[in-house]
Amino acid sequence: MGGRDTREGRGLLQRSQEAREHSGSVCRTAPYLVSTSTLSVPFPTPLEAEIARGSLAPDAEPHRGAVGKELKVSGSVLAVCWRAEDSRLLRVSIVSFLEQLSLVVRTMQRFGPPVSR
Amino acid sequence: MPVVLGFEGSANKIGVGVVRDGEVLANPRRTYVTPPGTGFLPGDTARHHRAVILDLLQEALTEAGLTSQDIDCIAYTKVSKILVPISVLLGPGMGAPLASVAVVARTVAQLWNKPLLGVNHCIGHIEMGRLITGATSPTVLYVSGGNTQVIAYSEHRYRIFGETIDIAVGNCLDRFARVLKISNDPSPGYNIEQMAKQGKKLVELPYTVKGMDVSFSGILSFIEDVAERMLSTGECTPEDLCFSLQETVFAMLVEITERAMAHCGSQEALIVGGVGCNVRLQEMMETMCQERGAQLFATDERFCIDNGAMIAQAGWEMFQAGHRTPLSESGITQRYRTDEVEVTWRD
Repeated sequence: MGGRDTREGRGLLQRSQEAREHSGSVCRTAPYLVSTSTLSVPFPTPLEAEIARGSLAPDAEPHRGAVGKELKVSGSVLAVCWRAEDSRLLRVSIVSFLEQLSLVVRTMQRFGPPVSR
Repeated sequence: MPVVLGFEGSANKIGVGVVRDGEVLANPRRTYVTPPGTGFLPGDTARHHRAVILDLLQEALTEAGLTSQDIDCIAYTKVSKILVPISVLLGPGMGAPLASVAVVARTVAQLWNKPLLGVNHCIGHIEMGRLITGATSPTVLYVSGGNTQVIAYSEHRYRIFGETIDIAVGNCLDRFARVLKISNDPSPGYNIEQMAKQGKKLVELPYTVKGMDVSFSGILSFIEDVAERMLSTGECTPEDLCFSLQETVFAMLVEITERAMAHCGSQEALIVGGVGCNVRLQEMMETMCQERGAQLFATDERFCIDNGAMIAQAGWEMFQAGHRTPLSESGITQRYRTDEVEVTWRD
């Protein structure tokens, strides 16, 4: 990768500017830069972590193209991993997830513990 | 004797209902009311629903005199064709409130180890309308803030005979209320109805029936313009405008309902959805029905307005017919229209 003065450098800068111009309200950097974020949420038991995953995984992200997340359970921990090309949408997705997660936890506290299977 | 718990929260009403064999055991509900001149936005609505839903759930169980183990199935609104125009663009709908309610339904279904059933919001209205009124096979006028459709049942589908090509009639009324800064408590439509009773002058508004369909966004633009001018010159009162708007839009709805009834040879009409509470609309529909020798059915505000028991009732029918929604397929969506659901519980 060269500096701005090289032809390569000017190409990168131009692509980045074009992305900004065409994206409107979307705060994209260069199209190939992806941010990731992870969250680990511990639960008292593996079953409760699995219940949380079952409740939070089914609804699709509103901006599927720009933000994606994956939920996995290992042991009693719910692990969430985001990939996003857009920093604003990433923030919105994380905040939204935390609000839903809080609701799931309150539901489990109030109407749990899970019945034995 | 299955007992079904139903969750509903697609718009600004959140309700939890309990139904057992056609009997409504509980149906508590809360409404998120915004200040006059404003409408409800998805994020704030979701926040409201999240804050009250667990209390509502407890209330429903207590009112029904049941424990979690008495519940056989958890139904929730999975599909809502509610398109809420935000500014001039048709927004993607109220995803956040819908998801907040769905998440609680999934959690209790797993906690109590009970089957889950995703219900189409419109079908919830229809099944509750049929249950409460006893109508056998009516032509249904479904009118609310988010939906306007004329529906009739045929061969395992609720077929859409006519609908709005842009905004719902309730949305037209609600947005007009915002222009006049009419209170949203208990609902803008209710307050327009009360003001309309005091209206004396009929202001001519565009009448936009298009074959089997209707259009309301033109009427809304027109009345928004006209209101400012006529109110400032004193040419008419806000009550006159409320009266004129109702008379115009309701006449349009009666026309398309009548057209569908003539097409189907139907002798029954059923009004469901929040706008169905409007007594003037019921009067106008009754007049049309009498002229045809048909019977009109309508419910009161407990069941017209979005509520949990209607979801529980539709869920009860679906549960008896063997429907189940696996967790992995339980995501909320606005995609499935009323006529895409296989109505296996009717002949």
